[in-house]
Amino acid sequence: MLCERCKKKEATFYYHENVNGNEKTYSLCSDCADELEKKGEFKKFGGFASELGPFESLFAGDPFEHMEALLSKQDLFGSLFAPTKTRQLAERIRAKKCPLCGMTLSDFAREGKAGCPTCYETFADELEPTIGRIHGRTAHSGRAPLKFREKNEMKNRIRVLEAEQKEAIRVENYERAAEIRDELRSLRGNA
Amino acid sequence: MWYRTKGRENDIAVSTRVRLARNLNGYPFDGRLTEEKAKEIIGNVWSVFDGKEGWTFTDFASLPTVERASYAERHIVSPDFAKKAGPCALISNEEKSVYIMVLEEDHLRIQAITAGFDLAGAVQAVTEAEQLLDGALDIAYSEKLGYLTHCPTNLGTGMRASVMLHLPAYTGAGGIRSLQNQLGKLGLTIRGMAGEGTAASGGLYQISNQITLGITEDETVSKLEDVIGQIIAKERELRGCISRESLDNLSDRVMRGMGVMMYATRIGSAELISLYSDVRLGAALNLLGLPTETLDEMLMRCMPNTICTEHEGVTTPADRDRARAAVVKEILGRANSAD
Ligand SMILES: [Zn+2]
Ligand SMILES: [Zn+2]
Repeated sequence: MLCERCKKKEATFYYHENVNGNEKTYSLCSDCADELEKKGEFKKFGGFASELGPFESLFAGDPFEHMEALLSKQDLFGSLFAPTKTRQLAERIRAKKCPLCGMTLSDFAREGKAGCPTCYETFADELEPTIGRIHGRTAHSGRAPLKFREKNEMKNRIRVLEAEQKEAIRVENYERAAEIRDELRSLRGNA
Repeated sequence: MWYRTKGRENDIAVSTRVRLARNLNGYPFDGRLTEEKAKEIIGNVWSVFDGKEGWTFTDFASLPTVERASYAERHIVSPDFAKKAGPCALISNEEKSVYIMVLEEDHLRIQAITAGFDLAGAVQAVTEAEQLLDGALDIAYSEKLGYLTHCPTNLGTGMRASVMLHLPAYTGAGGIRSLQNQLGKLGLTIRGMAGEGTAASGGLYQISNQITLGITEDETVSKLEDVIGQIIAKERELRGCISRESLDNLSDRVMRGMGVMMYATRIGSAELISLYSDVRLGAALNLLGLPTETLDEMLMRCMPNTICTEHEGVTTPADRDRARAAVVKEILGRANSAD
């Protein structure tokens, strides 16, 4: 595959980004990758070109892991200190510290990764936009540990029913939609 | 070990991996974790498996560097884990199909590897292993964000599922690029193993999910099942369209390749991967009577660090090439005599 930038040399670096669920992949040659890296527009990660031969490099790097680091370190955190925030608020956010590991928000922005599980609770509001940008969503759906399971199953059931209700309304099956509405009502009453 | 087993869709799918990222409440992540706390985590995790039949504990930190790298080459552990400084451990089941990395980036990375295209099997294996831990350990989880992970990119299910495919026809037809774009839109990624589109790439690609938050484990698996099923069908269709003349050429190349593998006394790693790709395709097209899993085993056992680990006294590249040729000969010889 040819480099997307110069369209001359073989592409050996891959750069994948996800902004608001819009995903883009760029393929670049090593020269263009170097150039963009110098400009700070792009951070190379162990891709297809490494100092090792092609065979050694085959399983030598896990670009996925690098990509994860890349994604989180990219200016995803820019919005945290957006100018719309008053200085006072920004100061307060800056002073916030995780009670368990001592991480601050600027540590988080610099490292791109949490200091401990409690960080997510400590910085819940501040991290929400970042998390939304990475995944395109901000709320979990899926399995849960034992101690959350019962509650989680109810939550998942509600989610399924809501989707079914939407579909029933779309196909104008109002009888079914009403049944679902009642079931949802009783589920939510128990929750 | 997966590469000694026949798997579903083995003519195209090499292996399937699923991993879950899990962490413990009350402990900082890597970088903020003291050695003492790190050892405490390892002890707590192992105490869940200790005494349960079939589980083995490996003090990964105490292994020699090449052996650690060999685990990474064979995809049993991540490259980062192979290089990690400080306490870390590897817990594996009897069948060597489930591996738990303790103190990788996350406190726990539970991983299952199966042969061929078998997402359901791999998910079941990781889930069973996880169930042993759940309840015994205080797993970090929030109702909003799901399983809490070191890196925000793994939040939610903490699940990464990937399938390694051999796509020589797709590659040859120049289809990888558009595949890459299509998969990107679906929240999936394709990762080539070496210089894309070149002979040395081996035609091997890994396809995996990228998003883990707001999508259930089942939804992730069925999306991958669907998309990878389509890619496999397309690859098979393309293989079916190879002209008679091309097939003749391929057959000749495959047999010459077999000649080299059976009789050469030194085989370089780059050479082997291109031989592997040709011969694997030939085997899948029944141009020769050789099971594809034999070739996958050959590839895994011929990785540079794996050669060094399995052969005493091998240090220089020339030693390695000689040892590699011997391994290839042995594995192919065994397969031929089994026919
Ligand atoms: Zn270029
Ligand atoms: Zn913290």
